[in-house]
Amino acid sequence: MKNKGLKIAVGMSTCNMAAGSRKLLERLEKESLDAELSTMGCLGMCHAEPQIRVTDADGRESLYCAVNPAKLERIIKEHLRGGSPVEAWLFNANEGDGAALLTKQQRIVLRNCGRINPESIDEYLANDGYKALEMVLKQNNPSEVCETVLRSGLRGRGGAGFPTGLKWKFALKERRDKKYVICNADEGDPGAFMDRSTLESDPHAVLEGMTIQAFSTGANEGYIYCRAEYPLAVAHLKRAIAQSEERGFLGDNILGSTFSFHLHIKEGAGAFVCGEETALMASIEGERGMPRLRPPFPAQSGLFGKPTTINNVETLASVPWIIRHGAEKYAAIGTEKSKGTKVFALAGKIKRGGLVEVPMGITIREVVEEIGGGTGTHRKVKAVQMGGPSGGCIPADLLDTRIDYDEINRTGAIMGSGGMIVLDETTCMVDVARYFLGFTQLESCGKCTFCRIGTRRMLEILTRICAGDGVPEDIDELEELAVQIKNTSLCGLGQTAPNPVLTTLKYFRKEYEEHINDKKCRAGKCVNLCSYEISEACTGCTVCAHKCPVGAISGERKGQHKIDQEKCVRCGVCRDVCKFDAVKVI
Amino acid sequence: MSTINFILNGKPATAETGNTILDAARAAGYSIPTFCHREDLKPFASCFVCAVEVEGRRTLVPSCSTEVLEGMVVNTENERVKRARKTCLDLLLSDHVGDCQGPCMTSCPAGIDIPGFINHIAEGRDREALELIKNNMPLAGCLGRVCTRPCEDACRRQLVEDPIAICQLKRFAADQAEENSWDMVPEQLPSTGKKVAVVGAGPAGLSAAYYLQMFGVDCTVFDAHEAPGGMIRYGIPSYRLPRNVIDQEVEIIEKLGARFEYNTVLGKDITFPQLQRKYDAVFLGIGAQKASGMRTPGEELEGVRSGIEFLGAVSRNESLPIGNRVVVVGGGNTAIDAARTALRLGAERVTILYRRAREQMPAWNEEIEDALKEGVMLETLAAPIRIEKSKNGLALTCIRMELGKPDASGRRSPLPIEGSEYTIEVDEIIAAIGQNIDSSMLLDLEVTSWGSIVADEQTGQTKMKNVFAGGDCVTGADIAVNAVAAGRRAAFSIKQFLQGEPVVGDPKMYNHSMGKLDEVPPAVFEQFNPQERTAMPRLAPKQRAGGFDEVEVGFTPEQARSEAARCMECGCRDAHECALRDFATRFGASAERFTGDKRTYRRDDSHAVLVYEEHKCIQCGCCVRACDELLKSPCLGFAGRGFEARVKPALDRRLALINDEELPKVAEYCPVGALTLKTDAVATLKPGAFLTSKGEL
Repeated sequence: MKNKGLKIAVGMSTCNMAAGSRKLLERLEKESLDAELSTMGCLGMCHAEPQIRVTDADGRESLYCAVNPAKLERIIKEHLRGGSPVEAWLFNANEGDGAALLTKQQRIVLRNCGRINPESIDEYLANDGYKALEMVLKQNNPSEVCETVLRSGLRGRGGAGFPTGLKWKFALKERRDKKYVICNADEGDPGAFMDRSTLESDPHAVLEGMTIQAFSTGANEGYIYCRAEYPLAVAHLKRAIAQSEERGFLGDNILGSTFSFHLHIKEGAGAFVCGEETALMASIEGERGMPRLRPPFPAQSGLFGKPTTINNVETLASVPWIIRHGAEKYAAIGTEKSKGTKVFALAGKIKRGGLVEVPMGITIREVVEEIGGGTGTHRKVKAVQMGGPSGGCIPADLLDTRIDYDEINRTGAIMGSGGMIVLDETTCMVDVARYFLGFTQLESCGKCTFCRIGTRRMLEILTRICAGDGVPEDIDELEELAVQIKNTSLCGLGQTAPNPVLTTLKYFRKEYEEHINDKKCRAGKCVNLCSYEISEACTGCTVCAHKCPVGAISGERKGQHKIDQEKCVRCGVCRDVCKFDAVKVI
Repeated sequence: MSTINFILNGKPATAETGNTILDAARAAGYSIPTFCHREDLKPFASCFVCAVEVEGRRTLVPSCSTEVLEGMVVNTENERVKRARKTCLDLLLSDHVGDCQGPCMTSCPAGIDIPGFINHIAEGRDREALELIKNNMPLAGCLGRVCTRPCEDACRRQLVEDPIAICQLKRFAADQAEENSWDMVPEQLPSTGKKVAVVGAGPAGLSAAYYLQMFGVDCTVFDAHEAPGGMIRYGIPSYRLPRNVIDQEVEIIEKLGARFEYNTVLGKDITFPQLQRKYDAVFLGIGAQKASGMRTPGEELEGVRSGIEFLGAVSRNESLPIGNRVVVVGGGNTAIDAARTALRLGAERVTILYRRAREQMPAWNEEIEDALKEGVMLETLAAPIRIEKSKNGLALTCIRMELGKPDASGRRSPLPIEGSEYTIEVDEIIAAIGQNIDSSMLLDLEVTSWGSIVADEQTGQTKMKNVFAGGDCVTGADIAVNAVAAGRRAAFSIKQFLQGEPVVGDPKMYNHSMGKLDEVPPAVFEQFNPQERTAMPRLAPKQRAGGFDEVEVGFTPEQARSEAARCMECGCRDAHECALRDFATRFGASAERFTGDKRTYRRDDSHAVLVYEEHKCIQCGCCVRACDELLKSPCLGFAGRGFEARVKPALDRRLALINDEELPKVAEYCPVGALTLKTDAVATLKPGAFLTSKGEL
């Protein structure tokens, strides 16, 4: 045993585990090492998981990415036992891909994610944890905290972007015996996982933010509304609450002050609409999750009819940093009206998918092409979908749009909660609109006529267009319905549901027209409207023939292959696997 | 409470603090539709039909739950609001499954409350049945015999076995008036002092006069013939429509005060300008009585005449020598009537010559069957090409035909087969191939190139505002029930015209339908056990040929009740109170705009008094909130998400298993017919059997 005093942290976030980290942890547990073995959350590098960080006795940190059992054996042998890091596998933050990934990021919300053991309050405390709460309680001036948050320019990160400080001030103003605070952790947009990662990787940051939120608004009871599909987040939150109560950061007379705050977790049953604040409150109250009309706003009459302040996970996790560093420092980041940082979940046709946190004001292009590394194939970015089902598609020629609430709104998309899905030329824009509308359509609570039936009728029209049965009038009817649904729905779900259709119609109208008039899907996605052919660029590598699920491709090795159109089901697998761009959509 | 000043539809308005826009707008006299709002329930804002525009707001707002604020600028009826309102209704209709009125009623041109009168007959209220019929059909006895019954073609009972004998039941009701010597003269409104000239005492003119007299308008009916009835007297033989039936029904119109001037020919005895001068309005129901020619050489020869001329002469009891060998040319009801009449007059051999095949004959199948049974012969796929005088009569040369491609009307057009000519010896040729309109005496009134009068389809009003028209003279030769309906519509229009009101006729309510016969969900009719249609008792063929006795002798009361009991009660119990139907009518909504998935037909009548029809529910939530807020009981709730969200009894059980005595109270909260009471006084009648347009008369 040469190497002593090691600290080894294995990524045990949901994404790490999905990539196989549990096996690595078990392997390390079996190996009797003279080392402190712990876990860590998500670093955001989902494209390179699982990860293991080794801290040598001298403090040198080595991060291994995309570790598999075979790699681990060599790491154990050479580094953990031998004392020499496997240099070739080390993540390098200073040059190449690592630098591209990190240079433009700025971590405020994700400051501890993947850095500390989320199950250890001591590690949180060692990283300035609960210092902000101490400061606030010492100052004992709720109104001043509201002012600080307002001055910082922090806006609601759930998507709507309402100034957080203002929301708190409204609630503080209410003179009522009982007030509540709620953390909205009902993250539901397809492809978005910012909140899950934060809750799993740094639960105390959210608890600290909430306790400050409660203190500043005069509430003494709070709920974290977290989806039950996030079991690890719920487990970490429960443990964190127990730890905080034990250490006096939660409960009665927090840190010896007169301020008391009790926190509960409410697990949501998976209805997307419960992310809407009035539906969320109904759900906590035990009612069916259905939105109601505002006003009255929750700040006046919210949970159980009491003044209630609802903030999203990311917003709350930003608060301790703002208190500790001051409003001015936060406000110095970003654009005139969008301050601070924003976390995005990069997904789709992207080389380095995962979570990134960037200062407001950088362009979508910087996020997608520099940080994310572009599509990672020879194909160009066609569009970026932002804001999930409530958002829209921003075309490639608008990629220089800055990350700013108002600038993104002008494109027709929205900042949203942070989903950023990169689309390339193999994506059919009509199909994308159909996918997102299909999602909202299923998740509508069914209360408002326009949202319940109108979105279904739009979906039926889109389905018709994709099947090749579209007629020219369909586009007019889609636009008319879209406007009407936006105009005439009670909650954000209905009011934004048509956005994916409207933005694709705005920027990719030609694709709709091709589907309808020429019966063509240029992306090769709509099976009734395309066929695949292998061009002369084929080298006869036979990969496509092997991968074709229906055996429609034939050809000699080293000879040009051919697709039997009768057998072909137009799944596009051949195109995806061809390294020579020889498969064409016609 | 303080007063708030705001702007409503461009005008200053006031409201009390806490008033919603809906309250304030209604107080100011504006009507805003709503489904989900009830005074005694908390605002919910789900239907969005009440949405209005508030300046400065990005979206429209639900007026039912938005408070009026000082200085607010509200629009409750601009284009944006109206478009949203109509779209809202179009969407609701696209996911609504049911019928407002049964298909029989909606396919009846006269709009007779068919399920209603059938229910009266089934339960022995024959007089009420007849009164209900007469709201739309003054000639119940006549049409009960000669109507072509579009209602029966639409009747859903044929999905079980055969349609209800609607027409014969109508005749049964009418026959009871004579059986029981009922005075069927309806109540009249006080005299208006206005005078109307009705030209033509056929179905259209009689119908117009009947309703105009009820409206207190004095009618003078002019007719060129010596007796009333028009085509139903002079075009239909008495074995199908005994003349006393016409006379009795006309007598009622006389008792209502109408004067009849027979043997008066327009353009000869009186002129159109005279009528316009002497009367406040004129109704033209002059029919289409000019027979069309065969365009066959020799048709001017003696022994060749038109069907109309022939039947008219018989009807006038003119002594008519009839030859032994008669050929009737044509395939419509007039051809059949002429053939059967010729047989009754003693012709030995009567042949119908028709240029298409039997399947294409426009005549009524039962009539064709009866004619064949009586001995009429049918020669199809043959057409006359030449008539010449022969030694013993006429030589009729015909040519064989074959069917070609379908023409514009969808019928396959007949084409002559070259070289297939043949000649037969006949004594008499009757050409029953159609009728034309003679409108030459109408001078400046606008007519089409083929002579028909140009009149508005809904109102019957012509380009001359005081002149109205209806029946065959507008449509060309058509079925009698259409003429009766046109006369009635025109009566409404004339009343409106005389009172200086907008002329709209008798506007139709929106009608929702489960669709054509093959679109009806099987669950609708599967519950019925087959019971054969009651056959109309008829004279035996042998008894008929010698005379003009009525062939169909009519149902006995027992037969009528048993037949009426077969009715499946299509239509909605709530048709007259349904808010969806009302708004759809008012805002011109349509179920056709959006097509796609729909609710599944699901009827729960397990409960003792309450029926839940999930397929009609519009998801307004009134019943759910009534349970929750008033009954304090979770009897009903929302289930599912998105388009599939439904109102369901607790735990998705059948209503019968919901143990709450007060549950039936929620029926009153349903703005449509999704929750209805079995015990409701009006609901003991079949759908449609209450509040017809009688309320307006």
